Amino acid sequence: MYIIKNALRCIGRSVGRNVLIGIIVLVIAVSSCIGLSIRQASVNARKETLEGLSITASLSYDRQALMQDFGGMNRGENGQPPEKNNGEFDRDSFKDMMGEMESLSLEEYETYASASTVKDFYYTLTAYLNGTDDFQAVSNSLSDTENTTQTENQNAGFPMGQGGMGKMGGGMAMNTGDFTLIGYSSDTAMTDFANGSAAIVEGAVFAEGTSDFDCIISEELATYNELCVGDEITLVNPFKEDEEYNLNVVGVYEKASEAGDMSSQFGFTMSDPANEIYLSYNALQSIADSSLGVSNEDNTSALRSSLNATYTFADVDAYEAFCEEVYTLGLDDNYTVSSSDISAFEQSLIPLETLSTMAFYFLLVILIIGAVILVVLNIFNIRERKYEIGVLTAMGMKKGKVALQFVTEIFLVTICAVILGIVIGGVSAVPVTNALLENQTTAQSQQSNRIAENFGRENSMGEMMAPPNMDNSGKQQVPQGGFMNRMPDMQSMTEYVTQINSAMNLTVVFQMLLIAVCLTLVSGAVSMLFVMRYEPLRILSNRD
Amino acid sequence: MALLSLNCISFSYGRTPVLKDISMDFEQGKIYCIVGKSGAGKTTLLSILSGLAVPDSGVILYNGKDIKDIDKYEYRSKYIGVIFQSFNLITKFTALENVVLSMDIAGVKGSQRDKKAKALELLKSVGLDEDEANRRVLKLSGGQQQRVAIARALSYDAQIILADEPTGNLDEETQNEIMEIFCTLARQGKCVILVSHSKRVADSCDECLTLSKIK
Repeated sequence: MYIIKNALRCIGRSVGRNVLIGIIVLVIAVSSCIGLSIRQASVNARKETLEGLSITASLSYDRQALMQDFGGMNRGENGQPPEKNNGEFDRDSFKDMMGEMESLSLEEYETYASASTVKDFYYTLTAYLNGTDDFQAVSNSLSDTENTTQTENQNAGFPMGQGGMGKMGGGMAMNTGDFTLIGYSSDTAMTDFANGSAAIVEGAVFAEGTSDFDCIISEELATYNELCVGDEITLVNPFKEDEEYNLNVVGVYEKASEAGDMSSQFGFTMSDPANEIYLSYNALQSIADSSLGVSNEDNTSALRSSLNATYTFADVDAYEAFCEEVYTLGLDDNYTVSSSDISAFEQSLIPLETLSTMAFYFLLVILIIGAVILVVLNIFNIRERKYEIGVLTAMGMKKGKVALQFVTEIFLVTICAVILGIVIGGVSAVPVTNALLENQTTAQSQQSNRIAENFGRENSMGEMMAPPNMDNSGKQQVPQGGFMNRMPDMQSMTEYVTQINSAMNLTVVFQMLLIAVCLTLVSGAVSMLFVMRYEPLRILSNRD
Repeated sequence: MALLSLNCISFSYGRTPVLKDISMDFEQGKIYCIVGKSGAGKTTLLSILSGLAVPDSGVILYNGKDIKDIDKYEYRSKYIGVIFQSFNLITKFTALENVVLSMDIAGVKGSQRDKKAKALELLKSVGLDEDEANRRVLKLSGGQQQRVAIARALSYDAQIILADEPTGNLDEETQNEIMEIFCTLARQGKCVILVSHSKRVADSCDECLTLSKIK
């Protein structure tokens, strides 16, 4: 007890020295607190986002693996790529392989939906149809070149096809059609309406699961064709012009325009969100079945459609479990499970996690430098107080107790400075982190911008690459990082975490106290070493 | 029985012998004076008696027990009270705090208030008033610091008081006052061992041990 009392008295009697030590520890503490807060913010953001994240996943053919297999099979003995090995690319083999890509049937999707980890399951059917003179697609500036572009792509075998009847890719043929018809299995499948990015402005949505040819169209399309609820529209099979289908317009919807909707910029009219027509899955399936029934012998004139199923999961663990479980339910190894939510989630945290990594190294450097300064200061401190050590040990105070008193002094000064550091750090952590995060996000955007400029796309992408807009949720909409790698996903956008609301919590406080103890032990160890080395007689004799 | 016995104590600094075969018994209630020329080993002998230095050979018995068998910190903090030539007080503490600290180190039982009261009483007994007791020792005169050192040595009721040149830097009047304190302590049954050059001090002691420089 008297050791603490003595330590307090000594601190009080050497204010200058202890204030100096306190200031150094305070600087370390504030820096550490901000560093730890950034790290904690990253952890919190991950945790909170994951908690609120509705995870969906879909099954798709593993084209990447297919490409690798194709490359491996076609390499010659010298291991050279096929085009270099044989002098020309073996296009026929590649087409055959792509043609063998079987699309999954609804029954198969439903089998995998029986996995215990699946929370919900829905599916959509997509088909492309042409309009008529009375019902035309909303066109944009590039639409004039649309047909030419599509034709060129077809000729080049550009793999844009969504699938055909039975075989994916449809022999690499491009789906044509002015309109995209999407048939939904349930209301849940209509995610845009569920999450509020689309809403009915006139009429009502078609009945869930109905087989009636009821549809809803976009407000833009309705205005363009002067349509209203109750009107009938006629669509034509692009592969067979006399095959017509009439749909009743039961509702008109409005869809929030997204900065990332670049599809129309590429000139595909059918990809323009305004040209999307929604109906029930059963209705569209009826259309597809009818088309198949009236098609020619080899089915080349049949309407092409593609089925997409989406599985929803309660959390990431369930998703990860599903990734394994689905193969036990019979999914072929050539298929893969992917979740755009998880990818978007990982992307959104890039700036914060980069900052977190930087904060960790910064913290490490601060702690090392701080510890070295404290050790040096304590060496001077102990040498200065050598006489005191001699007197105390000559009076019979054990060296261990003397060392303990010195360590207690360091600890008390350190803990006071650390507590003050926690308060200052706690107050400044959020604004500092947000400022750093903004810089980080801006840097990320600028990097994407530079890459886009390298591709000469600064004009078309200019709007998208403009300074990011901040929404209320503290997230910024900017293009996904790694622009090069994301080329096929240009429509998708990432919401970067650019603001944190709080970073301090008990974990940070605990870590700060741990730092205080560690700093005390490191600098106190030097004190102990010196105290144990000193002999009272020698100290007092030298003084005498 | 002697309170403290020296049996054939020898000590040397490296190859330079300082003390050789010193034997002497110190009894309670007496004042002893160790005299000798400079370099004769007086302070060295006092250091050996206080447990700060270890003799090369010989045995020191405290109450018949070899002090090697007693914990050296316990021996210093409980059994002997040392008054150093340069006082060796904690300069940033007050006189009172120095005395209370020695009580704490010695493990004197009682509350802090009791210890402070006892320390104040001791300081008063050596001629320091409350104001002086609460002053930092650096602001006290040499004589006052000497009194604080004496009070500190007495604070835990040690049986042996060792004093190195206790009157060396003091005026005659203060010397007399300090010697009077030692005489009082001896009368109370303490064993007081002084190191001094002063013949007057030596004359006022019960026994003298004269050390000669070893040639």
